[in-house]
Amino acid sequence: MPEETRENPVAAIEARHLSRRFGSVAALDDASFAIARGEFVALMGASGSGKTTLMNLLTCLDTPSSGELRLNGVDAAGFDEEARREFRARHIGLVFQQFHLIPYLSALENVMLAQHYHSVTDEASARRALEDVGLAHRLDHLPSELSGGEQQRVCIARALVNEPPLLFADEPTGNLDAENEARVLDILRRLHGEGRTIVMVTHNPALGAYAQRIIRLQHGRIVP
Amino acid sequence: MMLRMLRQSWRRNPRRKLLAVATVFLAASLLSALMLVSIGIGDQMAKEMKSYGANILLEPAEQAVLPSLFGEGEDNPLAGQSTLQESELPNIVDIFWRNNIVGFAPLLNGEVAVDGHSVRVIGTFFDHVLAVADDPEYRTGQKIVSPYWQVDGAWPDDARAEALAGVALAGRHGWTPGTLLTVDGEALRITGILRSGGEEEEALVAPLARVQGWLDRPGRVGSVRVSALSVPENDLSRRAIRDPDALDAETYDQWYCTAYVSSIAHQLEEAVSGSIARPIWQVAASEGAIIEKIQWLLIMATCAALIAAAMGIASLMTSALIERAKEIGLMKALGAHDWRIALLFYAEAALNSVVGAVLGCLAGWGLARAIGWQLFGEALAFSWIVVPSVLLVSLFIALAGTWFPARRIVRLDPAEVLYGRQ
Repeated sequence: MPEETRENPVAAIEARHLSRRFGSVAALDDASFAIARGEFVALMGASGSGKTTLMNLLTCLDTPSSGELRLNGVDAAGFDEEARREFRARHIGLVFQQFHLIPYLSALENVMLAQHYHSVTDEASARRALEDVGLAHRLDHLPSELSGGEQQRVCIARALVNEPPLLFADEPTGNLDAENEARVLDILRRLHGEGRTIVMVTHNPALGAYAQRIIRLQHGRIVP
Repeated sequence: MMLRMLRQSWRRNPRRKLLAVATVFLAASLLSALMLVSIGIGDQMAKEMKSYGANILLEPAEQAVLPSLFGEGEDNPLAGQSTLQESELPNIVDIFWRNNIVGFAPLLNGEVAVDGHSVRVIGTFFDHVLAVADDPEYRTGQKIVSPYWQVDGAWPDDARAEALAGVALAGRHGWTPGTLLTVDGEALRITGILRSGGEEEEALVAPLARVQGWLDRPGRVGSVRVSALSVPENDLSRRAIRDPDALDAETYDQWYCTAYVSSIAHQLEEAVSGSIARPIWQVAASEGAIIEKIQWLLIMATCAALIAAAMGIASLMTSALIERAKEIGLMKALGAHDWRIALLFYAEAALNSVVGAVLGCLAGWGLARAIGWQLFGEALAFSWIVVPSVLLVSLFIALAGTWFPARRIVRLDPAEVLYGRQ
């Protein structure tokens, strides 16, 4: 990892000529951008614009076909599968539009699952993570017993419990009503205020307005 | 955490688990029932097949010099020339395999004059009480050794002047049950007509002591039919039959301490002086061959059941993986190693198999008892070896059934199942 100085800060994310092809189709084509640490960025674009492809690359769920990608100063483009798994566990928090909670585990256990695959489980810190998102009273409830907004907050608590430096949120309010949307955005803003780097994928301009900066994608390319 | 996940998965999502348990349960109950039947059927069938008659013939060594050329009857030119001592007969039930001796019946053949006719006579025990080492009132005789003998009338009393007349002999002389004959100046009553399918149908079969008196051979017997419970012969016993001295000490002990008809015969020779014991191979081999075939049939049926169970579990696990693809994708996205996810599925399969196997053992025991009652009129004994065996086999089929679908976990792409590609 390169040494960080005041004059030369290490970017949280740095992509150069990043591409991802599936056969002859370029889902992401020559994307270059940088995201500073502590920045709140929105990735925006229409369906099929390459948002999710870029998100998968940035979260180490996929590997680029070509180009450079540095995450916290580490060359992530050359990661093998084990290195990607390790990086995901240690450095990345994921918030999903569909929540993806394990249906037979309680809210608390769903949060502890992330600890389990990161290192060791710590019920007290998992409780705190849920308290931080306002779910202290829902610890033992199953996902099916929670509202959409509550499920999304469990998902956020799970993403944060290991205190990852990078938080990625894929359409975090896509399945929520206005009240819950506002609550989730408040949490994201608070996290940003605490200095966390947040990348949010959305196609909703109103939501994008909450970010400091917007990276727009169109047909797999970054557009101004 | 994994134990917690297993517990919660079982508690809150029991439907699929119960299906897997039911699959293992069916296989385990069939397996344990067939194992119990397979273990018990040897003894039960051996008992049943005692209706074939004695399976060992004990003769004086001199008489059996040409053992394989002649039968046990008068075709042998040396028959009747030499004898065994009746006083040594209790030794037959004092050998290492005494508990496997179902019974024995001595034979003494000769010719006597009956009402002016020369008649072949066979002296034997019908239902004789004898003092032996472990039992002062041990009962043995043709009733036990030759259950296939059919008697029209009543069996003679060993202590009285009574006899059975072979059906051919009785037919020639017009004897019927109740006919009084005179033998050696003594009255002899025919109590029944004997059908045996053998040489006895041409003879008068009387208590041994009477015949010894008529032939003036007190305390002597010509041969002894012995009925013993034995296990099927195998390569080891066949080698021992060829030449027991060629076996090394360990192999010899193994043969000696297994209830092969050949090793029982060997011990009988040691017990009765001047004797040679010959397995009656038609009977012994039939017993062994039939039991072996039945056991093979059971093994084949068991294997088929196990393969079907393994395929059922593989199918269930495959559909579980498809159903839980997002769960697996999430675990991968959170940084789980493939082996940790696979371990969870293997642990679930193992847990299901243990539950299914324990229940299956109980059900299998009940099934085996029912089969025992149906086939043999008595319950088959429970053998504890079945429990660990069924547990291990159930575990194996559950893990084998999980192995193939678990390989798909490695290939599953979390990005694909969580987001879909764009």
